[in-house]
Amino acid sequence: MNWDLFPQFLATGLLTGGIYSLIALGLVLIYKASRVFNFAQGHLLMLGAFITWWFTENLGWDVWLAFAAAIGLAIIAGWLVERVALRPLIGQPILATVMMTLALSQVLQGVTILAFGAYQRSLPYLFPIQPIVLGDIRLKLNLALAFVLAMLGFIIFVLFFRFTRAGLAMRAAAEDHQLAQSVGLSVPRIFGMAWAIASVVATVCGVLLANISGVELTLSLIALKAFPAVLFGGLESIPGAIVGGLTVGILESLVGGLPQDPALRALHLGDIAPYVFMLIVLWFRPDGLFGLKRIERI
Amino acid sequence: MAIRLAGDFDISYAHDMAILRNHGQWVMLIVFLTGLFALPFVADGKTLGLLNIIGISIIAAHGLNILLGYTGQISLGQAAFMAVGAYTTAVLMKYGVAFWFALPISGVVGGIIGLLFGLPSLRIKGFYLAMATLSAQIIIPWFFRNVRVDIFGGTPGLTIAPPRLGELVFNTQETMYFPIMLTVVVCTLVAKNIARTRLGRALIAIRDNDLAAEVLGIEQFSYKLRAFFISAFYAGLAGSLWAVYARSINPEQFSLLNSVWYLGMVIVGGMGSALGPILGASFIRILEESTVQLAPALSKMFPQAAAGMLAALGPLVFGLVLALFLIFEPRGLAHRWELLKAAWRLRPFAH
Amino acid sequence: MNKIVLTITLVVMAVLVLTACAPAPAPTPVPPTPAPKPTEPPKPTTAPATTAPQPTAAPKPTDVPKPALRTKANPGETITLYHLGDVTGPLAAITTPLVSGFDDGVKYLNKTGGIRGAQVLLEMSDTASQVDRAILGYNRFREKKPLVLQMYGSGETEALKARLAEDKIPVLTAGVSSKGSYPPGYVFAVVPIYTDQFGLFIDWLVLNWDKVKPAKGQGLDSPKIALVTWDSAFGRDVLTAETRAYAERKGVKIVGQELFTPGAPDVTTQILAAKKAGANVIYTNTLAHGPAQILKDTVSLGVREEFLIAGCNWTLDLSMLGLAREAAEGFYGVFPNHWWDDADHPGVKIIQAEFAANNRKPAERAVGYLLAFSFVEAMKQYIEKTIDRVGFEGLTGAAVYETIVATGELKAMQGVTALDYNKDRRAPSKARIVQVQKGKFVYLTDWMTAPDLKPK
Repeated sequence: MNWDLFPQFLATGLLTGGIYSLIALGLVLIYKASRVFNFAQGHLLMLGAFITWWFTENLGWDVWLAFAAAIGLAIIAGWLVERVALRPLIGQPILATVMMTLALSQVLQGVTILAFGAYQRSLPYLFPIQPIVLGDIRLKLNLALAFVLAMLGFIIFVLFFRFTRAGLAMRAAAEDHQLAQSVGLSVPRIFGMAWAIASVVATVCGVLLANISGVELTLSLIALKAFPAVLFGGLESIPGAIVGGLTVGILESLVGGLPQDPALRALHLGDIAPYVFMLIVLWFRPDGLFGLKRIERI
Repeated sequence: MAIRLAGDFDISYAHDMAILRNHGQWVMLIVFLTGLFALPFVADGKTLGLLNIIGISIIAAHGLNILLGYTGQISLGQAAFMAVGAYTTAVLMKYGVAFWFALPISGVVGGIIGLLFGLPSLRIKGFYLAMATLSAQIIIPWFFRNVRVDIFGGTPGLTIAPPRLGELVFNTQETMYFPIMLTVVVCTLVAKNIARTRLGRALIAIRDNDLAAEVLGIEQFSYKLRAFFISAFYAGLAGSLWAVYARSINPEQFSLLNSVWYLGMVIVGGMGSALGPILGASFIRILEESTVQLAPALSKMFPQAAAGMLAALGPLVFGLVLALFLIFEPRGLAHRWELLKAAWRLRPFAH
Repeated sequence: MNKIVLTITLVVMAVLVLTACAPAPAPTPVPPTPAPKPTEPPKPTTAPATTAPQPTAAPKPTDVPKPALRTKANPGETITLYHLGDVTGPLAAITTPLVSGFDDGVKYLNKTGGIRGAQVLLEMSDTASQVDRAILGYNRFREKKPLVLQMYGSGETEALKARLAEDKIPVLTAGVSSKGSYPPGYVFAVVPIYTDQFGLFIDWLVLNWDKVKPAKGQGLDSPKIALVTWDSAFGRDVLTAETRAYAERKGVKIVGQELFTPGAPDVTTQILAAKKAGANVIYTNTLAHGPAQILKDTVSLGVREEFLIAGCNWTLDLSMLGLAREAAEGFYGVFPNHWWDDADHPGVKIIQAEFAANNRKPAERAVGYLLAFSFVEAMKQYIEKTIDRVGFEGLTGAAVYETIVATGELKAMQGVTALDYNKDRRAPSKARIVQVQKGKFVYLTDWMTAPDLKPK
């Protein structure tokens, strides 16, 4: 076992986990508001990265300006998706919404290829490529800054939900749709808002990732790693999304890095560790760490 | 209740229960089956190839329908259970077992693995269960890719010899058509009848309200597991047929996207009816084939996006069709067919 | 309201399905040999040079039988090239330029007289890296009796290998896995197979170690290679019993294989584990974004000078330079073809001109376009050689196969890439080592011959 590298892998895992947390946050936001699990989050993320690239490449904008513009577009895209695809399904069983988001992911895939081509592109760097050296630990500066940005996002959202009118309305709607409606909140509007915010989060995440690995279609696959994270944290909990994301990141890095035996390494254990972990979580704590236990009545 | 033909009355209990209620239906069935099995002698290889793929998809979709349509449990792992069946067949045949024995064994092995991943359904349901099966979809291909490379062949996978029956070698579209369609017919018959037994009714009760079902004395856990077993059993059969059809399998053939496509087939066809998977699988496969045919024409129209067109059309059309069905016809093509039949029988009185 | 929308939707779909059932939109090629039944195409059993008439299985009831070989196309005669590839799957980024390359290659062929006067058509089918689609697409093509097929994607080639041999349809494939190409069948790899490329890299490494070894790093007395590669059939194709044995014979240690998933945000764990295992060389068998990821992460870890980093031919692509930018400096690779920068090469010159004439996007100035263009020309050469031997009437997949096996070395597009096959070999073996210097590929060596490391 590579125990001497333990602190290194722990730190790398933590930073990667920050990205997973941010994706998980998008999933939780939508689930909290509308009880929809968004399988298309990864594709929203990919789309955001491609849009940002398009602004920098075709309009020659500064990458930060393009980033801001993409966020603006993401608000519209998120709202549109809710309005066109999910609104007609209100009241349908959970399966219908799950399938709808899966269908959506395919549509977004097609649209992205059609609009931007399937080529790999690269964004102008948001942050320079260089290491941060802390004693024995070496970290990627861009990943570390992405982590900081992700955490900043969390603080903003926690404050948003605690102190703003819109945030409180969303929490109320998440509690009970009918009750919220009866006190004068427009539930459909809140759904739209949740999707818009989640889409913004996805875009931020997409650009941060694209900055690290490039703008390409495989970006959408990373959302698969966020699923175990949300389940561990609990589908309704924003702190849960952070804890879940970080846990999955650390787990993946440690399981992937620590074994030293080549035969063991050839198994690529880091790849499935999050999913085995997910199965275990499902078995022992199906509602996740911070999830709500639902009591059912007939 | 479906609207019956005029003059079709229940005269005995057996008649009430019969699927085929009159001579006309018997004749139609016989004509259909004869036609089905006579097809290889007239159709070309391209059509048969499409039919073979449709047949395999129908079997997998039937299984998924039992879990999804009747029991209301979402599974994102159908392709992974197919992988189990395919690898079982490949390994058994490698050790000299004839395909005809390997086929049912693959079903059973697939079923058992499905059961294993269905175990969490004791405590979780709905969307959470989808996640448990998603982990199956990741873990099972990982297993075949990495564990015991000497047996399962690792990433390049395994090559399978064509099945034989005496002198006959099943290595063409024409010959493979028979085992595939025979399995499809048997599977359809079984699927149709499962819904009419105590098991089927119990599953439907669980789908509609699991707590109420439990109160009525239906042991939820045991029935859910049975549904998982049957579903994965079907997947195992489909995988086994796929293995000898494709003759070369590797873990990358059984991806999450495939599982999503099977879900799409069941939704488009119509959940909770034996006709649904047949219509759904045929519709989606034909649609897929047509987009592939259409793409070159479209790329000629938009030469600058030519390469993208080919790439974008498949997912785009599949996603759109699925979304449209979810919004406008969540009960699928089978429901439409029922409506059509009723309208025909009521003609000329529309209501 | 909803009903109306639904009806319209269903009608549209019905139309779509009906269109699909109609014959393929591409004009159907006039088959040079009107074969009466889809039975086995005839295969000349005699030596290639003889002009023996075809076996009686393919009588020509409609054509006017000609006594001499017909080596000139009838007016309006066409030949279709078929292309079965993954355009939507995980390889999309590299394959979309391929599609454009094929298109333009065929256009160029027709501009320059077609194949012995016959107009060339191109038909494509997407497989999305899924074998079921590949088989469906193959069935569609098979009915039309293709002379030669172009494919890529190791998985699909491997899956179709047995069928291709049964149907006697030769394939030029860019998915050059060792398992797809050997034992010899109807599959012809267009560049050296990955194990051979790795062997060639080891040869070069051993010869030049003192010159090229990393500035810093560990155990610099001899090369110690870690494979950092994708967890896929393609990524893992390098490390076999043969390559291990070969490395050992050459005194090169392979210290481990580190796997990552395409698109993973972080490969630092793999790099550090490789370092821990004692590596001073990293070799990767991936497409362009694989090495880009590794290069960037070694820079961001501050360990770039401790490794010599190299990869297979597909790592050397435009998008790798774009994705890795400055980090790409000093990257080595095995290069079996010419590149866009070789402006004085006659073949590259033509391709450059056609590229500009067709208004292609800069993003398509990739290895895929260059090679696809050349492969079309190679197919033309093979088919023309076959026509010279058996005439238009004898043109079948089996006959083209005979030609490919008998031809030996063939320069595609005046040598943009060279193909070389014989009875036992199913892949060329010549390549050069290149290094990225100031954002350009610079040839470090002359053409080298790869050792034969095909699987036993």
